Amino acid sequence: MVRVSFVREGESIFVPEGTTVLEAEILAGLKPDAPCGGTGKCGKCLVQILEIAPDESVDRKDRPLVRACQMKVTADIFVDTLHSQKNEHAILTEGYLRPVQYHPGLSLHQIRLDKPEAGEKRSDWERMLEQLPRIGAEASGEMDLALAASLYDRRMESARWYAVYTEGEVLDLRREPGRICFAAFDIGTTTVVGYLLDAKDGSTLAVESRLNPQVQYGADVISRANYALEHGTSVLSGCIRAAVNEMLQALAAQAAVGTEDIFQISIVGNTCMHHLFLGISPGSLVHAPYTPAISQPLTLRAADYGLDVHPKAQLLMLPVIAGYVGADTCACLMAVRPDQKEEITLLLDIGTNGEMVLGNRSRLIACSTAAGPAFEGAKITCGMRGAAGAVDHVFYKDGVWSYTTIGGAPAIGLCGSGLIDLTACLLRAGLIDENGRLESGQEDPQVFVLVSPEDSGNGKGVYLTRKDVGEVQLAKAAIAAGIELLMEELQVTEDDIAEVCIAGAFGSYMNPVSAGEIGMFPRSLTGRVRSIGNAAGEGAKLALLSLEEWKAAETLARETDFLELAALTDFQDCFVEQLGFETA
Amino acid sequence: MTLLEELRQSIEDGHPGETEKLVETALAQQVDPMRIVEEAMMPAMRTMGERYKNQDADIPRILAAARCIRSGFALIEKEDASFEEHNIGTVIVGTVEGDLHDVGKNLVALMFRSAGFRVIDLGVDISEKQFLKAVRETPEVQIVCISSLLSTALPEMKQVVKTLRRNDPEKKYKIMVGGGAVTRQLAESMGADAYTENCVEAAEVAKTFIV
Repeated sequence: MVRVSFVREGESIFVPEGTTVLEAEILAGLKPDAPCGGTGKCGKCLVQILEIAPDESVDRKDRPLVRACQMKVTADIFVDTLHSQKNEHAILTEGYLRPVQYHPGLSLHQIRLDKPEAGEKRSDWERMLEQLPRIGAEASGEMDLALAASLYDRRMESARWYAVYTEGEVLDLRREPGRICFAAFDIGTTTVVGYLLDAKDGSTLAVESRLNPQVQYGADVISRANYALEHGTSVLSGCIRAAVNEMLQALAAQAAVGTEDIFQISIVGNTCMHHLFLGISPGSLVHAPYTPAISQPLTLRAADYGLDVHPKAQLLMLPVIAGYVGADTCACLMAVRPDQKEEITLLLDIGTNGEMVLGNRSRLIACSTAAGPAFEGAKITCGMRGAAGAVDHVFYKDGVWSYTTIGGAPAIGLCGSGLIDLTACLLRAGLIDENGRLESGQEDPQVFVLVSPEDSGNGKGVYLTRKDVGEVQLAKAAIAAGIELLMEELQVTEDDIAEVCIAGAFGSYMNPVSAGEIGMFPRSLTGRVRSIGNAAGEGAKLALLSLEEWKAAETLARETDFLELAALTDFQDCFVEQLGFETA
Repeated sequence: MTLLEELRQSIEDGHPGETEKLVETALAQQVDPMRIVEEAMMPAMRTMGERYKNQDADIPRILAAARCIRSGFALIEKEDASFEEHNIGTVIVGTVEGDLHDVGKNLVALMFRSAGFRVIDLGVDISEKQFLKAVRETPEVQIVCISSLLSTALPEMKQVVKTLRRNDPEKKYKIMVGGGAVTRQLAESMGADAYTENCVEAAEVAKTFIV
């Protein structure tokens, strides 16, 4: 028999070895929350295992959360069921890549504004603050004269109030708790995605996305930076802030809340988007050696950046890792937390710039490589974004070609995942040689027609040219060379990489087998690929949902090393070596 | 196929390992390095240039061929230290200050070498002062090539062209500009002597400057 001690409830129970923690909880009469019946599917029964007796000197933050139903007891253990926290707020698992303990920096506290006793020396302000959790040694809180001035009137109105409180600062006092919200934004060069979250439990209330209106001043980071350098940053800052405001309005309308109920906003984006949002010139960013003007995490007043939310709402800007490895990559890291793992993770975020991070708990290294926009459909004759009618998958078996399109619409072009599939199938069919030379065997040997004009949705057909194959080669070689140089720097081989996490919509559509076949990453990694969706957006949310995660972002950004590929003499050789294809 | 024809083929196919082996064999057989360059390496690059113009070869294939050529040159120079002295003229190349990109610049440099020039490669992030110092230290220079991929480095490029022009009132050397950020119009407005869209043309235009 082994002893299981539940530290939060102060209970302990003896159970046979091999009993699960969940069974032990039930035996101890704790009524654990296990909607799936202990089959390991729902992840609602998370507990924290403390090998040793919990005592305040032990840092518990690092102890992993495990599923109670899957955790077998083999020795005496101490378990934290996190139960009271669960009652207040559910622990987030669904929809999140990584379960985190719900512990937002922003919280709602019931307080009393009672009439002081005779002889009371403390001010109304002090008496209010004393009812709020203390943040570190600071108990005084940020002074807010307007709020202090209103305390007498409020006290006369009612004794019971709710304080919206964050890290030593009272943002608002309300009569009714109401709904308070967070908003998280991922500002991409092309697309902006926004999420509205309920601050009560972190659940997502609404999602909005739209084109980044800065596109009209340049499609890519460099041309946008150029515009800012020639005309000042205000036009670009103004238009992205206006877009974020519009999205805030739309999000609030969707969730039927007011924008003044939004108290915290987190923003991630590549370094250029980050700088432009803040109104910082990207000058240093686009001139070698490409350093950011500012990189640390920032807690700002949203109103100072033109955001129309609660006047005291906070704006959290996640930290930037390096000039071309931005806060979006930092957010992806937060969604995966490779720094907590012993095994080595490779994180890939493929866009015009491919950002990648390799490593584990002892060291993480990031680099950025100019993959070019081929996988986003640009520069490819029939290329297009992932929209209705885009060929997203191509199959070739026993001489027969087939394909699928997004939305099942008649084919009008090739999106990134279709491009990769088609290239891989052409390789398999022996129509592209090791140097990338396309001999289609069709009417024009330099062109492979996948969809004839008659079968297509635009009368032009969908095809791939010899030049398109060249663009694929340049893009995949840039990524593959980046991976190779990161492995070299970390002194590991592809066998050491336990998992490849691919961020972004492209990652969700892409067939990893095809990507491996065209050599975007070492082929042996194919089975270890995991698509992590909009990890940057996830990271932006996590910064709001957990104070620990927000704090961890700073360490992650600071301690992730940066490898400047342009400064490596090996890069060009490595790149050229990766240009070819491995043919069957 | 003769040895040099095979060598030429290996470059066109972009197989650096094979190229190295064939260059080594040729050198071991006492083939004159000048012949290796003139009869195998130069024609191979010329073919690649033709193919590129006819859209029969793309940048990846040119890069692969260039890599073979570079390995070949390295072997020849190791064998014959005085090899560099055989040249039809001297070219200085560099990526302008503010830019660290060198894939294009390196290609241009190799094209020039294959065309018989001696190339002084200053590297990347090269300031106006460094360009100026290089031309002063190399009085025999005939062409200065300035590269920039990022459009944000264009003001610097403009400045370098201006400074070099002012320094060379007798027009002893020609200035060529190129790279992803540069267009013919921009090149003309800067006052450069020539602009080409790709590395193959660059070497061809350069040859017309040599009297």
